[in-house]
Amino acid sequence: MKKRILIANRGEIAIRIIRSAHKLGLLAVVFQSDKEPDALYLKYADEIIPAHDLLLDKPIFLDMERILSLAVEHQIDMIHPGYGFLSENPDFAALCEAHQINFIGPSPQLIRDMGLKTVAKSMAIKTGLPLVPGSDGPVPDAATAKVFADKIGYPVILKASAGGGGRGMRIVEKPETIERNFKSASDEALAAFGNGDMFVEKYLQNPKHLEFQILGDKYGNVIHLGERECSLQRKHQKILEEAPSASVTPEMRQQMGEMAVRFAKSIGYYSAGTIEYIMDEDGSYFFMEMNTRIQVEHPVTEIITGVDLVDWQIRVALNEKLTLKQEDIKINGWAIECRVNTEDPQNRFSPQTGFIDKIHFPVGDNIRIETGVQSGSIVTPYFDSMIAKIIVHGDNRSDVIEKTLKALYEFSLIGLKTTVPFCRTVLQHPDFVNATYTTRWVGHVYKPEMLENEEDELIAALTATIMYASEYLQLSSDVPTYKNDTLNVWVLNKRLNY
Amino acid sequence: MGTSYIYKRDASRLFIALRENGKRYKIYIPKDSKPVINGIEKDIDFIEQEDFHYSFDWHGKRFHCELVSRDQNKAIIKVNGVEYRFSIESIFSYIRRGMINNLEKQLNDNNIIAPMPGKIVDIFLSEGDLVNEGEPILILEAMKMQNEITATCNGVIRKIRVQSGQSVMKDELLVDINSIDV
Repeated sequence: MKKRILIANRGEIAIRIIRSAHKLGLLAVVFQSDKEPDALYLKYADEIIPAHDLLLDKPIFLDMERILSLAVEHQIDMIHPGYGFLSENPDFAALCEAHQINFIGPSPQLIRDMGLKTVAKSMAIKTGLPLVPGSDGPVPDAATAKVFADKIGYPVILKASAGGGGRGMRIVEKPETIERNFKSASDEALAAFGNGDMFVEKYLQNPKHLEFQILGDKYGNVIHLGERECSLQRKHQKILEEAPSASVTPEMRQQMGEMAVRFAKSIGYYSAGTIEYIMDEDGSYFFMEMNTRIQVEHPVTEIITGVDLVDWQIRVALNEKLTLKQEDIKINGWAIECRVNTEDPQNRFSPQTGFIDKIHFPVGDNIRIETGVQSGSIVTPYFDSMIAKIIVHGDNRSDVIEKTLKALYEFSLIGLKTTVPFCRTVLQHPDFVNATYTTRWVGHVYKPEMLENEEDELIAALTATIMYASEYLQLSSDVPTYKNDTLNVWVLNKRLNY
Repeated sequence: MGTSYIYKRDASRLFIALRENGKRYKIYIPKDSKPVINGIEKDIDFIEQEDFHYSFDWHGKRFHCELVSRDQNKAIIKVNGVEYRFSIESIFSYIRRGMINNLEKQLNDNNIIAPMPGKIVDIFLSEGDLVNEGEPILILEAMKMQNEITATCNGVIRKIRVQSGQSVMKDELLVDINSIDV
């Protein structure tokens, strides 16, 4: 009998996982949430479990007790959590284990450890991963903070141990202001979190975000599949990723990759995972954290290595041995992923909800589309605004930039605004072309006016005029002074609806 | 006569599209040929139109347009995913507004006066017509010679003050033209 895999997720990633499940001869089961009962992924599944989550306070994908009880009821063998939702929730992984359901991912303990930054960092130190220089713990007072800051160099960032959301956080540019900043940040943290403990860290002004893809099995084999650069972010969310990174030399790749593998081995990691690094302008890099899930941007790695990461996640969960060796992994060309989010890049990336009247994706041998929607789909406010990904493969970086831009011009969506124009702007900007962009790009460089261009503006003027004209010409046909032929303006053999 | 000129008589096909940032497009949509934008014919092909969506091809590129919202003569148009706001005016209301804003003197500088005494033998245009700079408006016969009197600007014929067969004095006002080049 076929094994039954439940996908505790929705959208494009559900479809992506179903594809791997089918390839491996598994039966794919999904939930039908009442929040989007006509979702596209339902069409690809072998079996649908109605979630009846309309009146519940959270959608099924976040409701671990319900997921498990329905999974047991439907004789599920394995659960793939996708990304987001419960994918990095150790309690969920543990609950699966307790119900003898195979959770596709690493062990609950590994998820828990990697989820706690302090634990992950102390484990990273043991294997010699470089960390951002800092106090490695709370400092008692401003004077001690200054001693650290003087040692690691300015600017530094003061962070509240209990902090979050920017509160209790200060960037200090020079020694004279550290005392004042320490006091105000500490007071703020005390007021907000009831804990005024502060630590000091070097502040990287223009960092790049790099991450190494790891794949391991349950027998201690771990390989890395090179890096991705995900420096292009807005609101700390990635929006365009590439692999490999132009900022990583082959020597660095080997070094950073080996470090990542050593770390993963030292903690007994298995399944797919990602080691995140932050890189300073001078090329020095530091360990940030490890993600224990499949990532949104995994396709760029798949494209340049030819390795199917979701297949391997499932095979590792089924106790298969990793047959790939590090020396088998070759990087072939360059790949870029553009996320299609229904957000308005002209207005602070505010989310857009409503109907997708019509959506058209580019087609080509070098183009991979992952989508959770089609023409007629509804984008609801209940879930993430990412509706699709456009992934393009090129021979080298400049080739892939050109091909991606062409692909984005072939994309069209009628009904909602998306991040596609933003991605087009990025691909044409010198900072991206020269690969000097950093995580601060959107905040420091990007302006909505950069989305505009003169050709589009002229076409917009023409369109507005045609729409107005078709009405105006008809209205004025009663005015005797001017000749009025029937409405047959150039366009207009095609007939307007007026 | 007049076929090589860009503007083809019908002034009701000429519009001004004004963007909120002050940028202005003069758009002429002739009956049978391509649109003329800021005095230049553009090789823009109209591909399809469905409800409030239009697509055009222009030098090998496809442009997807969508009407986002519309309020009187103001419209928001989305082109390739980016929104642009325009207000549209007919050339008549644009000229009217121009005159209110004290542009009358400038506009009247383009009026046609008789360069010599003579007789009007033919008038090619009517009031309200759109005329091109250098396009003949009428023929004035003087000393047995027929002189073509041409427009000194692109504009709209506001008033024709003479009739065919009428004799005129030197410097007599023949035709009022509102320039559209302002």
